[in-house]
Amino acid sequence: MLVLQILINGLLLGGMYILLAQGLNLVFGVMGVVNLAHGAIITVAGLFTFWFATHTQLNPLVLLPVVFVAMLAIGALLQRSLLEPLAGVGRKSELLSLMITFGLSYVLVEIGLDVFGSQYVSLPNLQTTWSLGGLTINEALVAAGVLGAAISGALQIWLQHTDSGKCLLATSQNRIGAVACGIDVSRMRCIAFAIGSSLAAAAGVLIIMVIPLAAQTADSLTILAFVVVALGGLGDYRGAVLAAFVLGIAQSAVGYYGGGDAESVVPYLLFILFMILRPQGLGRAAQAQ
Amino acid sequence: MSFERDTLGRQPRNRLTPAAAAFPSRGLQAYRAVAGLTILAVLAAAPLLSSGYILQLATDILTFVALAYSWNLISGFTGYVSFGQVTFFGMGAYATAVMVLHTPIPWYLAIPIAVLLAAMAALLLGAVMLRLRGIMFALGMLGLARILAVVAANWSFAGGAVGLTLPAQLTPNAVYAGAWAAALIAFGLNAFYMRSGLGLSAMGVRDDEGAAQALGVATGRVKILTFVLSALAPAAVGGLVAWNRSFIDPTSAFDPNMDLQLVVFTLFGGIGTLWGPLLGTLVLMLVGEQLWAYVPELQLALYGGLVIVVVLAFPGGMVGLANRFGWLLRRPIFAPRSFPAAIVPPPAPPSRPPDDTILEVRDLSVHFRGIVALDALSFDVRRGESVSILGANGAGKTTLFNAVTGFVVPSEGSILYQDRPVGGLAPFQRARQGIARTFQIPRLMESMTVWENVLLAAQHGRLSRRALEQTAWALHITGLAPMWLESIARLTPGQQRRLELARALALAPTLVLLDEVMAGMTRDEQEEIRGVLRRLPEFGVAAVAGIEHVISAIADISDRMIVLDHGKKIAEGAPAAVLRDPVVIQSYLGEVR
Amino acid sequence: MTQAIFDRALRPLALASLAALLLCATPAKAEERPIVIGGSVSITGALAVDAAYHLHGLQQGIEDANAQGGWLGRKIELKYYDDKSDAGTAVRLYTKLITEDNVDLVIGPYSSGITQAVAPLINKYEKVMIEPEASVPDIYVPGNLWNVQGIAPSLGYLEGVLPLAKSHGAKTVAVLALKSAFSLACDKARLEQVKALDMSLVYDTTYALPQPDFSSLALAIKNAQPDVVVVCSYYPDAVGIAQALQRAGYAPKFFAEAIGPAEDEFTKALGPIANRIISNTSWWASLKTAGNAAFIAHYKATFHQDPDYHAASGYGAIQALGAALNAVKAIDQAKLHDWLLHNEVQTVQGTFANDPNGAARKFNQYLFQIQDGTRKLIWPLADAEAPAQIPYTGQ
Repeated sequence: MLVLQILINGLLLGGMYILLAQGLNLVFGVMGVVNLAHGAIITVAGLFTFWFATHTQLNPLVLLPVVFVAMLAIGALLQRSLLEPLAGVGRKSELLSLMITFGLSYVLVEIGLDVFGSQYVSLPNLQTTWSLGGLTINEALVAAGVLGAAISGALQIWLQHTDSGKCLLATSQNRIGAVACGIDVSRMRCIAFAIGSSLAAAAGVLIIMVIPLAAQTADSLTILAFVVVALGGLGDYRGAVLAAFVLGIAQSAVGYYGGGDAESVVPYLLFILFMILRPQGLGRAAQAQ
Repeated sequence: MSFERDTLGRQPRNRLTPAAAAFPSRGLQAYRAVAGLTILAVLAAAPLLSSGYILQLATDILTFVALAYSWNLISGFTGYVSFGQVTFFGMGAYATAVMVLHTPIPWYLAIPIAVLLAAMAALLLGAVMLRLRGIMFALGMLGLARILAVVAANWSFAGGAVGLTLPAQLTPNAVYAGAWAAALIAFGLNAFYMRSGLGLSAMGVRDDEGAAQALGVATGRVKILTFVLSALAPAAVGGLVAWNRSFIDPTSAFDPNMDLQLVVFTLFGGIGTLWGPLLGTLVLMLVGEQLWAYVPELQLALYGGLVIVVVLAFPGGMVGLANRFGWLLRRPIFAPRSFPAAIVPPPAPPSRPPDDTILEVRDLSVHFRGIVALDALSFDVRRGESVSILGANGAGKTTLFNAVTGFVVPSEGSILYQDRPVGGLAPFQRARQGIARTFQIPRLMESMTVWENVLLAAQHGRLSRRALEQTAWALHITGLAPMWLESIARLTPGQQRRLELARALALAPTLVLLDEVMAGMTRDEQEEIRGVLRRLPEFGVAAVAGIEHVISAIADISDRMIVLDHGKKIAEGAPAAVLRDPVVIQSYLGEVR
Repeated sequence: MTQAIFDRALRPLALASLAALLLCATPAKAEERPIVIGGSVSITGALAVDAAYHLHGLQQGIEDANAQGGWLGRKIELKYYDDKSDAGTAVRLYTKLITEDNVDLVIGPYSSGITQAVAPLINKYEKVMIEPEASVPDIYVPGNLWNVQGIAPSLGYLEGVLPLAKSHGAKTVAVLALKSAFSLACDKARLEQVKALDMSLVYDTTYALPQPDFSSLALAIKNAQPDVVVVCSYYPDAVGIAQALQRAGYAPKFFAEAIGPAEDEFTKALGPIANRIISNTSWWASLKTAGNAAFIAHYKATFHQDPDYHAASGYGAIQALGAALNAVKAIDQAKLHDWLLHNEVQTVQGTFANDPNGAARKFNQYLFQIQDGTRKLIWPLADAEAPAQIPYTGQ
């Protein structure tokens, strides 16, 4: 029973990780850009949700679609102005884009600090706990997990079964080939970044009901998301799901048996281990670059 | 190496009047040395004479200068962006503090030992992490700082989360001197890289790591060495800061904002340049000091915004801007004052039996996840032969070259070079043993001049002892001597291909693999290249294999032709016979009308 | 190689050295008439929210002292810089305040961590410094003479919880602590107290921030079924652990968290979960300490918010400093320091008194509880505003 509870906690935690990480995968797979501002987007969206909820008394879930759409526009704008000029092949452009998102993350964090303050905030919605035969399951984590799964599923379907999605997939696998097929690669990049950052923002709206967020810890979310994505294999969506669950269960188990300190080291330790032993990650598909 | 050190930049500016003078006069030399040292002494002494605050500020500036230069070394020169300076900083701080607190080792020994420990850690880390792609490396280092912070927070021997309070040793003058030393060392390393073959190799890694390997650069070793060198100054400053502050804890030792500042300072000054980190740090810290008093809540945002602006608008930073006016230009490495007048061709190698097999390919198969690129291919190339490899696009020709040079691992079969198997040898080792190649799409080093592109190969080739002469010769023979100091961007496509050839020749190779060297050339250029190709045996090249589509250009200089189709050999023999073979005509040449 | 470098660099270096000389040649500021108290404050950064209260307490204290004629017949001024919640910056700022701005007196920064970093500096320059926001005992040792603690030590945080719980029949205890200077000191004291009171420790662990999820810890706590859960926390983990316990479906009879429940955001973040959580304070509005009512009234009028204990300790520090100055009648660091160590001052916090190492020895610790959205003092019983509501239900 205990083990089952640990497992369930781990799975739910993994669901939350998927939510955090898939947006990063999309951006990286198509653009070769690791969006270091990912955590900042999540955090600012979450802080905004908190502000909204405490000032308007409306259910913050209302914000989910609103923030998603708004971030599509903002993300597209950011991509056009900041990342498109650098879009090229090769390591140089990859790393320059890394720098830009690095700088962007600090700008966003500072905006978050100035507008929303430096205090940790969270929302008390979704606090129902269901009890199923001795197991306790919490609404917030379930919501995060369900949304995470839904997003991953939708992403997979879109990428593999729709025309626009296939174009995106094609672009990520072979840029020149995609151009040769008549795909507007530049537009693909814009779409990828817009959707990737919208996913992050949506994650933020939900996450603020699960854990407290503060502007200054945005980069720890980036690193966490990156660890999930790296463990799964950069750009591999299915791998990321597997990695998220592995991470969630590992943390849950280690936290129970080993205490709080051991738990906090788990993501980083796994990361280093994988870097040494299996840098291509858990996923079967190793992306050609 | 005999070359003159008093060189001129890309746009020659002669400060001394007589162009003939090899060195400035002794008097001028002495004057310059004294003037330089005096200025340094004044800069060093000034803060010592003023208030404690200025001294503290100067120490902080020097600390960041040292850190920025170290970052420049790994990220600017090799292009492997590292967010790891803070990791070594923290390591140095903690190692020093723990040593001083728990062992009888005094401060002035603890800091160098900490530096040594950091260097060893860098060696281990580099060996593991530099195998990864640039992005993974960058993020891995980012995560590492976190891990170390957590480890430090949990390790009560190192003070845990509470931190370590050290016996107050507040001697700000000594710390200031230490910071100077660290900054000078970091600067010195950068200056060395700017002037040395190692630096040239590092830049090759940055511009095109794969191509650099084909030119004989041991990229792995270069990266690791640079990484280790980049860890020295941060560890030293970490130890100094611990000493200065008498208190360290995980948050202050592994402060992630430190990396941001380094990146901003160096980018703003000019990444990969000699003066960039210094200028960037000086300007931004002095300006920042005043600015933050007025808008403290915008500091991070402004830094972040500055990174964005610099990367988008002027990625070369302040130095890049200055370069447009002709200031602070980088001097090409080991470039003499003028193109050598006397060209020394490579000596002919000792004579060998004429029937030597230079290259033997046996049942070579290469599979790419379901696609068969090469299918049980066998052929050989003997000494003195010039073999042309033909076939339609996708026939497997370039894959063949990639397998021979080590860029692709065969799924089956073997390759023997001079009767020894090459499997297991890395690309750079094969290049050094005498296998040179050109690339179908020229992969030239964009941040280097023509001269340096060729020198990169020459210094790793068979005749590396006389690399400068070899470089001059290779340029001369491919007709590129007039543009030896041009940047790559100024070359025509034909000139770029000739540069590819010059690089291959600079290695003084035994086997040359040419990948469509005639493509895009004018008739005259083709004639020049054909002239070079005919003379290759004089220069020690034992055999040539060339992939070619411009058949008319190579038909009469090939001894043999091999035609590939879908990875299989479909014809082999004398050019006349092969070109009339109906199978070849059907698969590749097309119907004769 | 050197030749080539100097060749190119001569002009820029010459300009740079000229600039350096000019920079260093600025004369020191002339001394001004008012008494200047200098310090760094975390205006930005992670500690900004609480430090704001601290700053306002200082400012209100100075304003009130000026209204009564100042000290030694001179007005008082506060000179502060933003240390961005960073220890290194604070060190540099205090050096600046002491050596360049030549302030008359120094006052401590916000948080134990930053104070620890600055303490050696204070000793070196031999300035007496009252530290109203440094509750760790580690600073107050022989060798760190010039530091004077201005707040109740962290050892005493939540010290009332276990006796209170025991008096209601509780037997088993779980103790959790954040890995930071303050909370580890608190943790150690609570663990010792469990032994001293003959209660049984069923679970204890430490954790570090940032920790996104406490569900494993909550599960472990639930498994141990303690009557009392004590968390030596800061704000974010206070919220996180409370949420996690609720999700795990466990409510201990007594649930106490050190820092966090005092903030408004806490009740907003947790909603009904926060009800009946117990927490710590070294000051409360209902206490009848010296000048408390006036302090609260003036503070509200100036800053349009209620003061909290950070503000009170800032204010109290100014009160103590003023008393010392008026007794010694000169700005003599050694004499002021000596007077503070040997005399008691009544401040809004209670009795400001220190032991020979500078640690505070007479401040009381109180417990308050969140009851239906308001906060009430529940312990010690003599000062209680309302009885404790037991048990904690998480609703």
